[in-house]
Amino acid sequence: MKLKAEKQHEGSIPTASMADIAFLLIIFFMLTITFEVDKTQVILPKTTIRVEIPKKAAYVSLTEGGQIKVSNGEELSASVPGPEDVFSFAAGVVGSNPGKEFVLKADSNSSYRDVDAIIDALKRAKVRIIYLLSNQQTVDDVG
Amino acid sequence: MKIKRDNPDDEIPTSSMADIAFLLIIYFMVTTTFTATRGLDFALPEDDDNPPVVEKEESVLIEIMPDGSLVVDQQSMLLPNVIDYLKPKLDVNPKKPVIIRPDPASPYKHMVAVLDELRQATDKGIKEEIRISIPTQREIESFWY
Repeated sequence: MKLKAEKQHEGSIPTASMADIAFLLIIFFMLTITFEVDKTQVILPKTTIRVEIPKKAAYVSLTEGGQIKVSNGEELSASVPGPEDVFSFAAGVVGSNPGKEFVLKADSNSSYRDVDAIIDALKRAKVRIIYLLSNQQTVDDVG
Repeated sequence: MKIKRDNPDDEIPTSSMADIAFLLIIYFMVTTTFTATRGLDFALPEDDDNPPVVEKEESVLIEIMPDGSLVVDQQSMLLPNVIDYLKPKLDVNPKKPVIIRPDPASPYKHMVAVLDELRQATDKGIKEEIRISIPTQREIESFWY
C-alpha cells in the first residue's frame, strides 16, 4: 500500500502575544514607580532597625559639606541657606498638617553640629516624629 | 486594455511593536534608581520651655567623642558593651532615661549607631523600650546644669 507523504509543517514560535506581555510589564512599572522628591547624593548611615517611612513625608537632606535641601514631600527639594530656613519651612508644613512626618536624609559623615541644628529647628517647629533615613546594616558591616 | 489591479491585504504593521515595547522596558530598567525608603524612627519630645527636671543621678549619660568613642557615666566603653552596662540599672528602674550627647564635631553616623543599639535593647534582654533622649545644643545650654 502506498502511504501518502506527510505534509511538512513549517515550525514557528508564536510571538503574537509578546507585545501584550511587554506592555503589561510597562504598565506594571509605571504604576509601581515612586518618584523621588529628593535626589541629593549622600552616603546614608547603616542601621539594623529600619521602619517603613510613610509616603509623602517631608524631606530635609544634608550633605557632608553642610548643604541643606528641603521638600514638603510633593515637590522636588530645594536648597535653603541654613537651619533657620528649615525652621520656617517646617513650621509652615506643620501649620497646614500637624501630624506630618519628616525624614532626615543626612550623610553619615556630616558633622553632628549641622544635624543638631536641623533637629533643633524641627523640634521648635513642633514636628512630632522624624525618620533618620538609613541603609540596612549587614553582618559584613559589623565585621 | 484591462488593467490588472493589485489588491493587497490592508493591515497595520505590528511586527515592530514588541521591539518598541522591549526598548521601553529596558529604558525603565536602566534609569530606575532604587531608593532607601526605610529608616530609624525617632519621636521628638514637645518643645517645652519648662521641661521636667531630671536629676543627673537618675539618668545614664552616653557621650560621643569626636573620634566616635563612647564615655558612659564617665567611663570609656565600647558600643557592644553598653547594653550590658544598662541592663542592671534598667532592671531596677525601667523608666531610667538614657541621654545621648554627641560632640558637635563628631560625625552623624556615631549618633545613629548608638541610637540603633539602644533601640535593639528589647531584643537583647531588656524588658522595656529604653527612654532615649537626645537633647540639642540649645537645650543643653538652656537647661543643663
